[in-house]
Amino acid sequence: MEYAFLLDLGRCIGCQACVASCKVGNELGEGQQYIELIEKTNGEFPNLTGGWDNHRCFHCADAACVTVCPTGALFKEDGLTRLERDVCSGCSYCTEACPYDIPVMYEGKSSKCDGCAATVSAGGSPWCVGTCPSAALEYGPREVIQAEAHKRAEAMRDRYPNAHVYGETQAGGLGLLVVMPDDPELLDIPIDPKTPFMADAWQKVVQPAAVGITLGTAVLAGAAAVISRRNHEQEMVVIEAEGLVRDSEKSEEG
Amino acid sequence: MARIKLDISRRSFLKGGLATGGLALMSPTASIDSAVGMLSADDPWYREGDIKTTYNVCDVCPWRCGVVVHTVNGIVRKIDGNPADPKSRGMLCARGQGGVSFMYDPDRLQSPMIRTGERGSGQFKEVTWEEALDYVAAALLQVKDKYGEEALAVFGHTSGDHWFADHFAQAWGTPNAAKPSSSLCLSPRDEAATLTYGSAVGGHEPVDWDSIQAFTLIGSHIGEDARNTLMQDFANAQARGAKVIVVDPRFSSVAAKADYWLPIKPGTDTALMLAWMNVLITESLYDAAYVEEWTEGLEELAAHVAEFTPDWAAGITDLPAAQIRETALVMAENMPAAAVIPGRHVTWYGNDSQRMRSTYLVNALLGTYGREGGMYFNKSVYLDHYPLPPYTVTGSSGGCSAEPGEESAELPLGPTGKARADGVRESFMRGPTAMQELIDPMISGDPYPIRALVAYGVNLLNSIPNPERTIEALKALDFVVAIDVLPQEHIAWADVVLPEATYLERYEDLWTVPHKTPYIAMREPAADPLYDTKPGWWISRELGMRVGLEDFYKWETIEEWIDKRLVSVGSSLDDMRAQGGVIVQKGKPYLEDFDGASPFHTASGKINLYSEELAEAGHDPMPVYEPTDEPPTGYFRLLYGRSPVHTFAKTQNTPVLNDIDPENEIWVNVDAAEQLGVKDGDYVMLENQDGARSGPVQVKATQRIRSDAVFMVHGFGHNSPGLTRANGKGASDTKLQTRYKLDPISGGAGMRVNFVRLDKEGV
Repeated sequence: MEYAFLLDLGRCIGCQACVASCKVGNELGEGQQYIELIEKTNGEFPNLTGGWDNHRCFHCADAACVTVCPTGALFKEDGLTRLERDVCSGCSYCTEACPYDIPVMYEGKSSKCDGCAATVSAGGSPWCVGTCPSAALEYGPREVIQAEAHKRAEAMRDRYPNAHVYGETQAGGLGLLVVMPDDPELLDIPIDPKTPFMADAWQKVVQPAAVGITLGTAVLAGAAAVISRRNHEQEMVVIEAEGLVRDSEKSEEG
Repeated sequence: MARIKLDISRRSFLKGGLATGGLALMSPTASIDSAVGMLSADDPWYREGDIKTTYNVCDVCPWRCGVVVHTVNGIVRKIDGNPADPKSRGMLCARGQGGVSFMYDPDRLQSPMIRTGERGSGQFKEVTWEEALDYVAAALLQVKDKYGEEALAVFGHTSGDHWFADHFAQAWGTPNAAKPSSSLCLSPRDEAATLTYGSAVGGHEPVDWDSIQAFTLIGSHIGEDARNTLMQDFANAQARGAKVIVVDPRFSSVAAKADYWLPIKPGTDTALMLAWMNVLITESLYDAAYVEEWTEGLEELAAHVAEFTPDWAAGITDLPAAQIRETALVMAENMPAAAVIPGRHVTWYGNDSQRMRSTYLVNALLGTYGREGGMYFNKSVYLDHYPLPPYTVTGSSGGCSAEPGEESAELPLGPTGKARADGVRESFMRGPTAMQELIDPMISGDPYPIRALVAYGVNLLNSIPNPERTIEALKALDFVVAIDVLPQEHIAWADVVLPEATYLERYEDLWTVPHKTPYIAMREPAADPLYDTKPGWWISRELGMRVGLEDFYKWETIEEWIDKRLVSVGSSLDDMRAQGGVIVQKGKPYLEDFDGASPFHTASGKINLYSEELAEAGHDPMPVYEPTDEPPTGYFRLLYGRSPVHTFAKTQNTPVLNDIDPENEIWVNVDAAEQLGVKDGDYVMLENQDGARSGPVQVKATQRIRSDAVFMVHGFGHNSPGLTRANGKGASDTKLQTRYKLDPISGGAGMRVNFVRLDKEGV
């Protein structure tokens, strides 16, 4: 069965209970977080709107991080994107591939929400969900979550006319369905998340070629060059998945 | 309580496919392979090992949520909300989640210590408990012999404060016991409520959130001031479509959720309330039947507010008159299920009792009190006190969990005939002992000398305004003993330091919470105390036994004390444990529950729109708008508030919470910042009107605040090397509060009367 999270940004009040519960429950290290709340503000005083970008794994069905992961540390299970840190080799491809910029390297290994795999398999619910005071977080079978998300979006339209459910189409459908009060880009969440070049290249070039070790190494070197350039430019080098055309406007902004 | 009806439980998915009653999943499309269950003490599911689950009451903030604590192989691992607790309802905030980390903070005080260097030097030697307690007892007895019992001040905060600021102080015989939660926080709110409708607001604001239809928050930051229950109630009410009006100079987290944000000029809230009353009365929008039956003084109030039109208020508040009228109408359309929420920290400008009263008068006109969806009546718990001999003096430390008490006409006198030294009846009218007013007597000896101080769980230098004066007092005292968990800055000024066990390592007296459904909650240890630390009740008792107060400490263990009290409700510790750690009683929330009798404990049994009591004491019988001083050119008014991750000045060093929120920022309006040439992320120093300077603090240049004020989270800017993570991080608002304005009614210390400028030099 597929499971999913619900994140209701109409309710989220930025209290960080999820962040702390996640850190304590998952026994994360110093400086390690699977959830980060980022305050967003739009407009000019006093005509303002604001909200909280919950920067956390969206659990994409077509998960670019899983595609590029060479060791299988990242994998899909029950509709969620799991991470076995013990298996991670520290290549950091996932940090480049993610269209939402979620995984980070922590102590040499990938670090991101795994949907509280261990806790859930032991019979609990994900730590963030269990503690959320404003009931902005829920977890359950995907169909139940999807129905609840639509119910909530519908209910908030009096106040938020553009309320909708985010995540049904993005990246093949997300395992984190967001009840979005307004345009997601107001919270810097992309309407149409782009899989960067890395993931695409991996899928189309590296994997087919991986039978030949030499060739594979050569392409990996090329991929590493792309990574280092991106790091250098401090911005996404977005290659359109179909056209492999560099978005020159974007890179010049940086 | 309106809970979200989702067909799944957020608590746990128990394996095994049993579907329990009404909680079963009822999705039309999904079939279920796991069913729901609630976490309980018998359900240790998330870790391998010897698992112990205990009940507790969270002490990280003063809201006191009931929690369930999981200990694995003797190590406390995780804290969750107790589903049976009426406050937490199974949920917990970030602060509460940080409790484990608070306990295992390696910076904790580890052993009793006696000072060896100068006061303030932080030089101590470790001693045994026996040595330390004997030393303290001898010092206290010496002060008593020389100056009388009243020369001892006892300051207490956090959940064991009862053992010191109430029990020990009253047994010993000093009326000079105080809690910061009174005059540095809630006193104006509760005194104004008592004067207006006969009872204090109480620790848990009695807002009938389940069915409220419109509400106003004035400078109240739900979500930033992370009261777990309030966040739950707010989210449900807002999602249900209740109208949200937020009055705040700052676009707070909750303002971003509001239907109406009123970015009011700081210090002018009373003008807004007077204009609302004007609209309600002149347009006949108030609840006439309710006002007729339950209030006194409408005629006077109508005449009083006649001139306070929205146009008048617009010029004062910097809000459009149309918006003032429109929001008054929104409240009226939804009455009586409409309320101005009392908020918590209200000591702002020194006229705070009158401001709070103005909000209560709006509520009275809306017919709010005792009505469904408005403000219900809290009922106190039925539970016997532990049988004790009469105390030597009746104290008045107040505190946010205090039962509403009677204000006695005659002040209680200590054994040598002295009443409270805080100037009550002279510099202010009434209310609990004002902590900040006890500092001067320590220095001046006026009206009589206070020569010794017991400080339990209070950060003396990051809560009482004008910390330089507090240091002067700490230098002047004959004897200071500090009982605490962490080496907070004032610890360096103590003669003896007694390290306390945290709330996770000790039993505690029962919590008796006045509430819609009054309830009793319990605390039991989740693990043995770390290091050489002891519970507060034990320290209080050991001291009491050494200073001749044996009659007040005839019990030997705290379990014995608790069980004795529980007999009166036919329960026991074991029984409470079996019941999920909480005993819930029946309340009387609404007018109709009183069978025609008045629930208002005023002389007339009615709500005093006009207050004879205030008039007799020489105060305005109805609230008047008084302008507060404006910031000098180049200065901003210093506003302060909370981070949802931190409590007061207590948790900045807690590893997990420090990791999430390591330092505060100074919020500056973007345009104002640009004019000053400072950018978002720059570090600046803050200097106040008296030249007091902060350490470096990061600028948050934002649209979210007016250009005449700056804002920072309270509690940062620690100056204590023992707090290895928090020391020197961010700025201390208390350090910049060299002034405060005394509320002449309640004795509250208004702290938003300080101004700062940003200084790029010296960073």
